[in-house]
Amino acid sequence: MTRSFTWAVTVEDALAAIGSGARPVAGGTDLVVGARQGKASLPEAIVAVDRIASLGGIVEVDGGLHLGTLATHEEIVANEVIRERFSALADASAIVGSHATRAHGTIGGNVMNASPAMDAGGPLLCFDASATLRSEAGERTVPLGELWTGPGSTTADPHELLVGIEVPAPKMMTGSAYVRLEYRRQMEIAIVGATAVVTLDAGSVTHARVAITALAPTIRRIPEAEAALAGSDGGDEAIATAARAAGTGSSPITDVRGSAGYRTAMAEVIARRAIVAALARARGEQVSIPASAATRGATA
Amino acid sequence: MGAGTTAAATTFIRGDGKEKVTGVGRYTADLTMTGMAYAKFRYTDHPHARILRIDTTKARAVPGVVAVLTQEDLPDVRFGGLVLDRTLFAKDVVRFEGEIVAGVAALTEEIAAEAAALIEVDYEPLPAITDFVAAMEPDAPLIHPDWASYERDEGMVASGNTISYSTIVKGDADAAMAQADVVVKGRYESDASQGVPIEPRAVLAEWRGDEVTIWSSTQVPYAARAGVAQTLQIPEANVRVVVPLLGGGFGAKCDLHFEAQVAALARAARRPVKLVFSREEEFRAIAQRREGIVMEFETGATRDGHLLARKARLVLDKGAYCGEGGFLGQMAAMHACGPYQIDNVFVESYLNYTNHQPSGSVRAPTAPQVCWGLEQHMDEVARELGIDPVELRRRTVIEKGAEGPTRQIFDEVGIKQTLERAVEMIGYDRELPQDEAIGVAVGWWPCMPAPSGAYIHLNGDGSGTIVTGSQENGSGAVMAMPTYVAEELGMDPHDFTLLYQDTAAANWDMGSCGSQTTFNSGRAILAAAVDVRDQLLDAAAAELEVDRGDLELAEGRVRVKGSPDRSVSIASLAEGDTIHGKGSGEVPEVPTGDTGGCVGRLGNETFLAPQLITQAAHVKVDRETGVVRVLKVAAAHDCGVILNRIGADGQVTGGVVMGVGLAISEGTQLDEEGRQRNPHLLDYKLITCSDAPEIEVDWIQIPTAGAGPRGSKGVGEPPQVPTAGAIANAIAKVLGTQVRHLPMTPERVWSASRGVEG
Repeated sequence: MTRSFTWAVTVEDALAAIGSGARPVAGGTDLVVGARQGKASLPEAIVAVDRIASLGGIVEVDGGLHLGTLATHEEIVANEVIRERFSALADASAIVGSHATRAHGTIGGNVMNASPAMDAGGPLLCFDASATLRSEAGERTVPLGELWTGPGSTTADPHELLVGIEVPAPKMMTGSAYVRLEYRRQMEIAIVGATAVVTLDAGSVTHARVAITALAPTIRRIPEAEAALAGSDGGDEAIATAARAAGTGSSPITDVRGSAGYRTAMAEVIARRAIVAALARARGEQVSIPASAATRGATA
Repeated sequence: MGAGTTAAATTFIRGDGKEKVTGVGRYTADLTMTGMAYAKFRYTDHPHARILRIDTTKARAVPGVVAVLTQEDLPDVRFGGLVLDRTLFAKDVVRFEGEIVAGVAALTEEIAAEAAALIEVDYEPLPAITDFVAAMEPDAPLIHPDWASYERDEGMVASGNTISYSTIVKGDADAAMAQADVVVKGRYESDASQGVPIEPRAVLAEWRGDEVTIWSSTQVPYAARAGVAQTLQIPEANVRVVVPLLGGGFGAKCDLHFEAQVAALARAARRPVKLVFSREEEFRAIAQRREGIVMEFETGATRDGHLLARKARLVLDKGAYCGEGGFLGQMAAMHACGPYQIDNVFVESYLNYTNHQPSGSVRAPTAPQVCWGLEQHMDEVARELGIDPVELRRRTVIEKGAEGPTRQIFDEVGIKQTLERAVEMIGYDRELPQDEAIGVAVGWWPCMPAPSGAYIHLNGDGSGTIVTGSQENGSGAVMAMPTYVAEELGMDPHDFTLLYQDTAAANWDMGSCGSQTTFNSGRAILAAAVDVRDQLLDAAAAELEVDRGDLELAEGRVRVKGSPDRSVSIASLAEGDTIHGKGSGEVPEVPTGDTGGCVGRLGNETFLAPQLITQAAHVKVDRETGVVRVLKVAAAHDCGVILNRIGADGQVTGGVVMGVGLAISEGTQLDEEGRQRNPHLLDYKLITCSDAPEIEVDWIQIPTAGAGPRGSKGVGEPPQVPTAGAIANAIAKVLGTQVRHLPMTPERVWSASRGVEG
């Protein structure tokens, strides 16, 4: 049972509380829901960081992005820079949970919850984003690929607070998309998800990132898929090879949401849809956000 | 008053609407009382086990605990519907994961939860019987070894773990099958599913002397009262059940449900006690889910589509206890016949105990699953015959004078009209893209005759109070009652208030179940209105010194026909507070048939004034993923004369949406020991508003024998009946193969499309 709940006014207050064992809470959409479901009881001490103004905001920095840890999914979807140049992230934030989750849930909480089904994770990973972690002892930057170690676990120290996420500038002619298999149109959780980020130059793919979601203990990049795309013309054969690699690269579990066999087969389908949408956006074609809705039923 | 011309047909503003949508309405969980304690249950640790020892010492020692109860503390009686097979708290053996071993009341919820966890229980685990077909093998361990000693209805034909065996028999199905040009067989299987009312249940009990008042989120307050009286061994007169606003039920809140345990805790604690369920408890602990069924159909037809014979074998998963669901097997058997003309029938149905949560009435119990299987089977018959599925139904559905599966002769039935209308609304013959198709299904549901009673008091100022035992579950059926009374009395619906869902106020009513509120409670209320009308006419005739035959009631006055200036106001006639009417009306009789050959007769062998339904679904299938989107459902129903169009349309809209969920996304998943694997809304996937299809509704309004007030029949359950079947037939058309497992989840559709049975 929680014995102490404090509201931090400054980052320093928050770090002091975290340093003495409190757990930070922002939107509460994971902590509270998890406690209600009996996954983990609420911590003894909680420090709310949601009123620390300096932790919020979405700022364009040299063509890249600084996402304050308190940026909500709703703010991310509404941000024109993200919609235009980091579309996959907008695709993901647009379909996280419910309207209420998107209004309350923060990107920082989402990243630190380290769920392999986290929608925003694949896009951030494929954009080579890194997490800025701060404690009373100082600050360090960790690439997201090195942050997540398994379902719910990270390399962050318990005394560290995620204060922001830095996303470097993508090259010109980059397109991206995040697509999720959806049993229903709202209130869904990722059962299979895929992200693709591709850069085109004179008709060929010069840079590719492909990641899979909810198909392994962490969100995972698929180097074989990226290799199949990079240097290719982005045509059907390269797409098919890359999508197959996404299937081969998955190691899903069988659970109430689907069997491992179905998920593996869907990894290929969904990865293909994400790659096709990313390529289309790179070419300047319109694929509406979220790409999951735009690509439903799209066949090879 | 003719069809569609009632006041409710054009405007209907629900009396309980504003408080519900503005959040000021009070549901049971919102109630608090001074000194109130909180209840928590200790559930079993094993789905099937013998209890060796229960020690509540540590729980009792927790400061703030005011009562701890086990079955030892209560009268040694069993309860149930057609079989009395359960105790309030587990006695000796636990039989499903939601079984309650003990109850605790404490000053806070946290203390109650802590104390419940401290109760020590030793078990000897027993093998869990979860395969409801294998449960009837001769060597299967018995879930109720003492069954023979239980009190039960004589109609229950039992053997081993089969709690009820029923057959529907007409002619000689085997001989007729041998004569058929075409014989088609099909096997279908449905998972269990849930009603999922948005309000998890809550119960608050308070004693005064030896009388108890229980506020409960129940659909059936009188059944709850009877259950409390029987299990606590007190007179029904000492039990008052009041239902505050009810946040949905869909059948899941039928039957006795925890009112007695909470009342017993309140008596022991000597203070009011409240129980509020979590969502997970609402999934796991209730004894009221939609049952799993394995269905095998065999139909013999002539080349031109005449149905010579139907055989079917159904096995239903009853779960651990009978509850009110003892009739499920026989009801399923009637739906395996469907609203068709079939010369010879042999349907047998096994309702089997398992170590699962008990099954009971959830919106049109058994019908949606069996209809889903049968209607796919009928499409398979059509394919085999080379006849269009709609044409086959056109040739085979029942009509006036046709003979039912037990030789009941039908009066006017509008099934053929519903078929034509649904096909027209959906645009059946349209060209569609390759991944889209239209499927059609027909179904039926009986009217449920039952007693009811109502009072109407006219107050001294001319306003009126309607006292009814009927229960509002959100459908608006009770909310529409003032309109009918006002029409009968020439008054304004706003002249009336309702006193309802309080067992101390009115006499017995079946409750919000069986689509019976307008049918039975409406009949009683109209009879009471006629009584009031008679009294007003007598009083006015004396006052105006005219023959009462010359009088009419209109605009709040009793006036002389043709001379509207000669009149007296109803308010002035009511001044002395002497106008009060009562009524019950005559309960329609269930039609007779030739049921002599049927085994396990429980009252559903014939259908009174059946409600008849055709629904057509237009779906789009993402072949690569198996994800199905239902784009449109056209629903044409013969529910008799529609008294309240807005309310009736609302029932179809909700029922279709619920049917879509049943068809493609819901379904309880169970582990090897019978525990639910998805007892929460993240993984028990109700469809959302965004998934809801366009829904077009129309009504075939024809009078029929045995109908309810003003020619009406029920409307609440029918929309649930053929929705999944219509969707299934559309999916099969896209895939070129049937999906034989309900719900037709994306993975099952995907598997079927690859030739693998899901």
